[in-house]
Amino acid sequence: MSAESTFIPPQRPKSAPSWHGRVVRRLLSGALVLWAAVTLSFISVYLAPGDIVSLLMGEQVQTPAIEAAIRAEWGLDQPLYLQYLHYLWRVLHGDFGRSYMLNTDVSSLVLSQLWPTLKLTGLALVISLVFAVVMAVVTAHRRWGQRIAGGIELVLASTPSFWLGIVLLFIFSFTLRWFPVAGDRSFSSLVLPALSLGLAQGAVVSQVLRRGLEDALDEPFVLTLRAWGLGNRVIRLRHALRHAALPAVTLTGWLIGGLLSGAVITEQVFGRPGLGKITVDAVLGKDLPVVLAVAIFSALVYVVLSTLVDILYLFIDPRLRDNGQNGEENA
Amino acid sequence: MKSFAGARSLSALTLLVLSSGQSLFAAEQPQPGGSLTWGVETEPNTLNPQLNGQSKAELILRVAYESLLARTPDGAYIPWLATGYHVSDDGKTYTFTLRDDVKFSNGEKLTSAAVAENFRHAQDPAYCAGSSICALAGRIDTIATPDEHTVTLTLKQVYSPFLSFASGLKLISPSSWTSPQLKAGGTDIAGTGPFILRRYEKGQQIEYVRNPDYHWASANAKHQGPAYLESVTYRFLPESSVRTGALLSGQVDVIEGVSGNDAGEFKDNADFSYQHALNTGTPYSLFLNVKYGPTQEVKVRQAILQGLDISPILQSIYRGERTRVWGITSPVDPLYDASLTGKYGNNPKLANQLLDEAGWKTKGADGIRTKDGQPLSIEIIQAQATVRDQRDVLLQALQAQARQRLGVDLKIRYVDSGTYTEVRKTGQFGSIANSNTDTDGIDIENHYLPVNAGGAINYSRTDAPEIIPLLKGASQTLDNAERKKFYGQLQNFAVLQQALAIPLYEPEDQIAAASYVHGVGFRPFKQMPENAYDVWLSKH
Repeated sequence: MSAESTFIPPQRPKSAPSWHGRVVRRLLSGALVLWAAVTLSFISVYLAPGDIVSLLMGEQVQTPAIEAAIRAEWGLDQPLYLQYLHYLWRVLHGDFGRSYMLNTDVSSLVLSQLWPTLKLTGLALVISLVFAVVMAVVTAHRRWGQRIAGGIELVLASTPSFWLGIVLLFIFSFTLRWFPVAGDRSFSSLVLPALSLGLAQGAVVSQVLRRGLEDALDEPFVLTLRAWGLGNRVIRLRHALRHAALPAVTLTGWLIGGLLSGAVITEQVFGRPGLGKITVDAVLGKDLPVVLAVAIFSALVYVVLSTLVDILYLFIDPRLRDNGQNGEENA
Repeated sequence: MKSFAGARSLSALTLLVLSSGQSLFAAEQPQPGGSLTWGVETEPNTLNPQLNGQSKAELILRVAYESLLARTPDGAYIPWLATGYHVSDDGKTYTFTLRDDVKFSNGEKLTSAAVAENFRHAQDPAYCAGSSICALAGRIDTIATPDEHTVTLTLKQVYSPFLSFASGLKLISPSSWTSPQLKAGGTDIAGTGPFILRRYEKGQQIEYVRNPDYHWASANAKHQGPAYLESVTYRFLPESSVRTGALLSGQVDVIEGVSGNDAGEFKDNADFSYQHALNTGTPYSLFLNVKYGPTQEVKVRQAILQGLDISPILQSIYRGERTRVWGITSPVDPLYDASLTGKYGNNPKLANQLLDEAGWKTKGADGIRTKDGQPLSIEIIQAQATVRDQRDVLLQALQAQARQRLGVDLKIRYVDSGTYTEVRKTGQFGSIANSNTDTDGIDIENHYLPVNAGGAINYSRTDAPEIIPLLKGASQTLDNAERKKFYGQLQNFAVLQQALAIPLYEPEDQIAAASYVHGVGFRPFKQMPENAYDVWLSKH
């Protein structure tokens, strides 16, 4: 790990004329993604079966007066395109509306549930990366280690996270009583959910990383390094890992999406607050304001993360940089 | 009278369970203090007690919000926030006399004006749309407050379930109506209960603290004055195995919703107590659509009703922990008529004969009957939201039995709430499987009034002219024996003659608690887990 930190010094691309253009292009494409997320969510919620007014009425006696009251309250009496335009207009002003089902302000709802989910996915990400790096570095090209690790990874990657969560709870919470079962009250309540979410994803990354690492170790440059008298650990950590990291980093970007959606089940099992359950309920109940707010937020996360991943490529692989002289200091 | 005996022996059974759990500590006196954590399955979608329609949320909301009258186990009304009530001779005017010493937790007095305001809002679609109170309060013609302690409600027409609604409406304080929290509920919405809402952490838990001024418990309660507990926290644990584990490992003190498989962990365990009670309202039933598909034919419906043998299925799935039901409402409901018990079912010979008569004579290679080349296939719609308590397994067992015994293909379709709404709107389905917990005939009305005339959950979509006079008759008399007679006739027609519904089992609630927790139980009559008010903790 110590080696890895030297790969990420706070560098700034200097004086490249295209720098501003790049940022502007990034921002524009980000805005485009956000707009597409809102629009597609809006359309798909309307295309899904069940009309919103009936859903809001539930299994109650329906009268025209009640129906009219619901339409008026939520602005559902307007034509669809107007509802859409009004929504966009309000979002631009920071107003995400009120939840149909929960009757609360959506921005405060999403914000209050955001932090627990970010904590969970953040720690899960750390766990999965640490797991992947350790497993890959320790076992690459070692026959028995590789077999055992491969077995563990296969089991973890194919275990439903629901079940893994229950097993972890049973062992570490109900039997050993090391960690509390539920809620978001302390760091200890975060450990088990993050493990159950992170391990399965880590197992996938680990498989990819080990393959990359093994390929790298077979490269001629490794032979050269050995001839220089470098130790095995230094070769693996400082040199081969870097070569192996690119596909793993790509996968990690994808993995974060997996973590966010996996959080739904983990939050449910562990009785944690978070965006997961809110999103599922909102989609099922066609709670449009909540669905759209979550869509905007998720799109935002993706935009930010994919940008970060792109930047990370540059740090890891000097070949991708425009002007190579910045990379010298790392070698 | 048979049913009363049944109900009594049933409540005796509950008592037995209760007393065996508590006799060990009979010597101890209730002591104030301590805080309780209760693991619950369902998180309320709104904390407004009037707009929330989730049966499972009552447990959480009843500690802070109360109503005019309480109910005894046999359904009789006893004083609570009202000292009494009076119904005029024509059955249209209900007069409630209020206690003069009740205050909401924010200090506002419970006056007739405050109560009247609750009923006024319950009539206003802008407030009540989407909840069950709209339809019931809509029956009120005028609301009057002759003096500070008297509220008079006059109905447009006589309607016997009205008292159940009016006496049970959970009252909120006058200042609530202008609060921005009104619809979502929250700390601004004051009630008169023994506990006061302190904090709600979405997705996690809800905390109440004791109301020190409380001294108006109904005669149902085991003590008077403030609650014993200083605070009570309801923690949301949606997974049943997690609730069980949390209680077993001492992380919570009480849980509700114990699966049939986990009940054994607590039942014969001295460290815990376990109790259960049947729900009120409609049993979990298959309602057969009389307006769509093969179930339009009464002979097909009859064949399913007569051909299936439900008792052994229940026995094997629930290990004897669930109760078979034969009629249109719960065996614990005073309006339940037990006369259908054993009157139908497990008669494959008759069933197959009926199907032959209906023209479904030939069988395809898969063993499914056909007519004019079409297989005898009935689609059962089960909303994903109400799949619990191993209902999926139950439906599969029915499916297998129908195929083997009758050559009927029951297709089970689990649907999201949008599709569910859509299907109910178009009426294009074979059957809907569901239950309902309303009491006092409201469940029966909702199931059997025509779809366009108040039958909000009329899944069989019947509009048989025979039913309406029976429902009318029952809703226009205040004599319970008379009402029961009407519902008995209705049940005979709906189940035995028309096979509109195939009752399966009555859902129930369970409570498991650590042995130092005393006084947990079910609310009389409504049978929902309740009573943080009487709960106290011995040393542990």
